[in-house]
Amino acid sequence: MTQPMSQRLLGVFPIIVFACLFAYLGVQSTTFLSLDTLELITKQAVPTVIVSLGLATVVIAGGDDVVAGGIDLSIPATAIICAAIIADQLTNQGASLPFAMILAFGAAAIIGAINAFLVVGLRMTPLLATLSMSVAIVGITKVITSSRRIGVTDETIVFIRDGTIFGIAASVVMTTVLVLVFYHALHRTRWGMNMQATGGSRDAAEISGILTRRFVVQSFLIAAFAGWIASVFVLARGSGSSPGTEENMLLEMVLATFLGAAFSPRRVVTLWGAVLGAVVVSALSVGFISIGVNVFWTGCIKGALILLVVASASVTTKGRS
Amino acid sequence: MKSTMTLAAALASTVCFSTAAFADGHLSLDGKTIGVAVVGTQHFWDREAFNGAVSTVEELGGTVVPVDGGRDNQVHADNHDILLSQGVDAVISILGDGAVEPKFEALSGAGIPVFTVDHQSPFGTNNTTSDNYYMGTTIGRYMADAIGGEGNVAVFNAFEGALRICGIRAGLWKYVLEDYPGITIIQPELAEEFANAPEDARIKTLDLLSQYPEGTLDAIHVGCWDQPAIGVVQALEEAGRTDVLVTALDGGPDTLEIMAEEGSPFVANVAQQPNLIGSTAAMNVARHFAGETLLPQTFVEVVPVLGQDGAKAAYEQLGYGTLD
Repeated sequence: MTQPMSQRLLGVFPIIVFACLFAYLGVQSTTFLSLDTLELITKQAVPTVIVSLGLATVVIAGGDDVVAGGIDLSIPATAIICAAIIADQLTNQGASLPFAMILAFGAAAIIGAINAFLVVGLRMTPLLATLSMSVAIVGITKVITSSRRIGVTDETIVFIRDGTIFGIAASVVMTTVLVLVFYHALHRTRWGMNMQATGGSRDAAEISGILTRRFVVQSFLIAAFAGWIASVFVLARGSGSSPGTEENMLLEMVLATFLGAAFSPRRVVTLWGAVLGAVVVSALSVGFISIGVNVFWTGCIKGALILLVVASASVTTKGRS
Repeated sequence: MKSTMTLAAALASTVCFSTAAFADGHLSLDGKTIGVAVVGTQHFWDREAFNGAVSTVEELGGTVVPVDGGRDNQVHADNHDILLSQGVDAVISILGDGAVEPKFEALSGAGIPVFTVDHQSPFGTNNTTSDNYYMGTTIGRYMADAIGGEGNVAVFNAFEGALRICGIRAGLWKYVLEDYPGITIIQPELAEEFANAPEDARIKTLDLLSQYPEGTLDAIHVGCWDQPAIGVVQALEEAGRTDVLVTALDGGPDTLEIMAEEGSPFVANVAQQPNLIGSTAAMNVARHFAGETLLPQTFVEVVPVLGQDGAKAAYEQLGYGTLD
């Protein structure tokens, strides 16, 4: 059935808004539309992109109902605790990076398994289960770090921060590879198709013989894995573990993932949408700074723009249904 | 009387300093673009230092590129990359932990001088800060006197190892207490949150009070700033404890108002002048471009605050208004 013109216009409204905004930023700032700035934007988006991949996976497997569907708010906290463990091991305990990372992986695996048990085993609401888990993880992180910063000077971490691969920032190259791996797994394999089917309609998937509970469990494990991977980039970004970084990351992860959904034609959370959302959030920050927007207004303008886009997406979805 | 005289002397020297600075007619930032990076703008101190730097750059004819880390040290550090990509002529960086060091290195490597505020760095051209040495020793003496030279003291001290200014303030506070063998610092020390500090300190203080019943705890000191002290005072009121005194550092209007309340447990502070600190950093940028040689650090006077009357006097003298 053909959509009315107004509906179609509303559908592309988010893209028009951001295209106009970025064009405006490009005109106002001589540096905004440049390759260097693009690299900076993507570099700064890296941790958000990775945790958003994890969240997108959980939403894809669990469905996009924010309360009853799939959501994992503990991914940033997982990244932060893994970063704290790695920093503590490297700096305070004198451990090697591989050992520290294995230890952090163990912590992430436990977190993922507990989340899966709470949601699938105890049938807790994912929102509440993972929010509670996030609070608990942040508490444990404070115990590990005593709420203090732990600096890291490990060569590999410094390379991820400053190094380049084929002339492109190493962190951006690594993240691109990770995005492609996630994309292949979720969109180009039978396993990925089954996971998407699970989130699309749990009942239909079960009738088709898909073990949906298994896929939901796996999605939480993958989310924890994303947190673990993100921790390395968090460490590189901050040259160590600084307390209190999980709150901003949580906000940006949720924003990026659901803002990404507003860009998708069907208004659903997708991997590419999450990646694009993270880059857009980062681009907004860089863009506003590049034209010298008053810092007291930046948050307000960013929030209003995002609200506008998400609201228009919501209106379009309702119009279709 | 003594504190009033000290206050007057400090303010007089400050006035002399600032007048001399602004009387430097040759200073200009005309045609210069200056990045001003602040770790956050939620707290009075951060906001005022930021405002002082921004307004002075603009008064001197410069263009400001402002960035706010939202009280997240990693975001604050990342913002320096954006300033680097913008090709600003100089950066004023206010606060921040070790995460900013590689950014300072990159900026100075690109020929962009970095002027820090409350953050000593080998890659900085100049650091403008309060007289942290005086702050640490003064609050040590004031606290020791307030509890009669003996007793158990808890300290919020999360940043002694992470920020040099905090290392100086807390380290010299402890140095003074070495001469008071009757004072015991409760171990382990408490670590406050950087963001949401008052609420975090309130909860931690309530826990502490449950462990140390009446008569076993004499004071709670906040080693580097005073936002946590707001939560400490709230917790003492909630618990109905009047046996514990509070001391801290920074002396913004919010904490001076608490100190000025009748019967307040918050008895001593050392007030800084964040607006003047930010403004001085901006003046130093102009001096640098005028070819003047700067010392590694510029110290801005502080104002010791003792008791309710001292808080009222400091509040008025620092231009925050009057407290009745």
